[in-house]
Amino acid sequence: MSVKYDPIVYKDGVRYFHRFSIHQRIQHVVLFSSVLVLAITGFPLRHASEPWARPIYELVGGHQYAPMIHRIAGSVLLALFIYHTIYWMVLFYRNDIGKLRRENNLTLRNVGKAFLTQEMVPNKKDLRDVIHSWKYLLYFTNRPPRYDRMSWREKFDYFAPYWGIPVLGPAGVILWWHNEVSHAAPGIVMNAAYIMHTDEALLAILFIFFVHWYNVHYAPEKFPAARVWLTGYLSEAEMIHEHYNDYVKVMIEAGLENEIKPQHFGGEKYEW
Amino acid sequence: MRSDGLIKLIILTVVMIMLYGQDTVVLAEDRIDCLICHKYRGLSRVDEQGNFRLFYINNDLFMNSPHRRNECYECHTDIKEIPHDKVDKVDCTQQCHIVEPSGDRYFSHKTIAETLAKSAHGKLDADGNPKPHQEDYPGCKDCHDQPLYRPLSAFKGEAKHGVSMRSISRCKSCHESGNFAKDFYEHVTSRLHKTRFSLEITEVCAKCHQDPEFMKRHELDDVITTYKHTFHGKMLEMGSERTADCIDCHVVEGENNHLIESKDVVTSSIHKDNVGRTCMASDCHTNASPNLAGFQTHVTYDREKYPLQFYMLVFFKALMALVMYFFLALIFFELMRRLFPKFAFFKDNTPHHFADLGEQDQQDKEDKS
Repeated sequence: MSVKYDPIVYKDGVRYFHRFSIHQRIQHVVLFSSVLVLAITGFPLRHASEPWARPIYELVGGHQYAPMIHRIAGSVLLALFIYHTIYWMVLFYRNDIGKLRRENNLTLRNVGKAFLTQEMVPNKKDLRDVIHSWKYLLYFTNRPPRYDRMSWREKFDYFAPYWGIPVLGPAGVILWWHNEVSHAAPGIVMNAAYIMHTDEALLAILFIFFVHWYNVHYAPEKFPAARVWLTGYLSEAEMIHEHYNDYVKVMIEAGLENEIKPQHFGGEKYEW
Repeated sequence: MRSDGLIKLIILTVVMIMLYGQDTVVLAEDRIDCLICHKYRGLSRVDEQGNFRLFYINNDLFMNSPHRRNECYECHTDIKEIPHDKVDKVDCTQQCHIVEPSGDRYFSHKTIAETLAKSAHGKLDADGNPKPHQEDYPGCKDCHDQPLYRPLSAFKGEAKHGVSMRSISRCKSCHESGNFAKDFYEHVTSRLHKTRFSLEITEVCAKCHQDPEFMKRHELDDVITTYKHTFHGKMLEMGSERTADCIDCHVVEGENNHLIESKDVVTSSIHKDNVGRTCMASDCHTNASPNLAGFQTHVTYDREKYPLQFYMLVFFKALMALVMYFFLALIFFELMRRLFPKFAFFKDNTPHHFADLGEQDQQDKEDKS
């Protein structure tokens, strides 16, 4: 966490902007690996009567090993969830609360304010950006929204697993330890856990497959794959397209006011 | 005297040569020679209902079947002479001519039939009155003569034995002659393991219990589909043999498999006082509490019967529809936006630069501060 990243780096004459630290990128790799393993070992069971289910299930261990693999991957994902929460709390404490304490401004109100300005926390601008996006998409304006460091779509992408894991995880744990749970809770809890687990899983996978993978794979300018999850840096063109406000801010902070390019809108030619 | 012996040898040799190459398969217990006609593969006719009936007896199959030690006429008791007229259906409950090897009783399926009559599948209700829709209640062959229910081993010609065939040598040290040791051994050991894959058992039950007309007549839920939605059903489809099929839950542990009772009967495995014990049966959820039986297996998501499941399902489906339709629409319109990038109904052509903070950016700043 103590590695310092250059906000702007140059490679082959292209300017790149820092987005994700190696720590965050590793968390993302753990996240998507465990989710993929969970999906491949879970969905054949969800659709057990389909003809494709059994061959795929056999491929990932069959009825003997696939449940075990699913539980290991689930444990990893739950551990990651807890780890990420602690990670965020440490960052929040170090960057915001620590600062408030040093300035002797540590009141509940200030902490709340600091929380609301966290880059992942949705704010009023996001609500306006949602409306602005739709205005732009429906041809009512020629100016796309200017996003900050995190756009509302990225925030939704972030909170999807952050809502999904607390729903899926405990339900999965209940189904896993059903015998033990039955000593403490009525059996109908298993029915509830079953619905939570299978339906939320379908939502999560549909969202990842259609929405998240559109954002990072299928979108014409990203196809076949975005690279920010590997390099941690986003190119200038993508920055202008996706995070114009942040782009301007970083450029000014780096003393490059004169080189700021205008926002793409109304069909300027730009190269990815 | 010497020529006598020679003649005997010659006759014996000739007989041996004649016998050699003949059908060496032991014919069915066929002392009155039924196979003289029934060995022909085309022996068939169309009956009064217009059904095609095949009367061919495959001797190999019969000799591998559980009934191989019975004479034909022991079950088809109304056949007194050959050739015979139309015969009645076999009554499986009649006494057999076979003596149980373990005792001196004549063998009979009567006890099974009596058990079945007491079960939910019996034709009479508790007061001895016939239940409605008599024709729906199963007899022996409704379950035991389904193609699915026939053991594959019979067709492959290899019976599955419970333990190593080597152990039969212990029996043979005393029971030297005849097939007694082998038959008795197979009788016992074949029952030490499941002879049918559980999936086949669900198929047998599904024959009636998944028939829409049948379910409507008896006001039953689709217990087969709902079972397949449980982890038991799913693991079964994935090939597990350690998961519960219909019989495992619907018969009291250790009880006769034919005694499947309604949940309203106090001795039933799924009666509310017993169902906990049923879940905790040996090899199943032994370390659970009886609470586990509160899990509802045959959930139809009916609003009246299963309100919790119904509303949870509605909630998740609604959430899914909301999220997915919103974002799929967003993606669709975003792709559509690329078609005419320059077009807009209302154009804002003011110079666009970071320094030129429009109204919106001002507002953003206010929001953030």
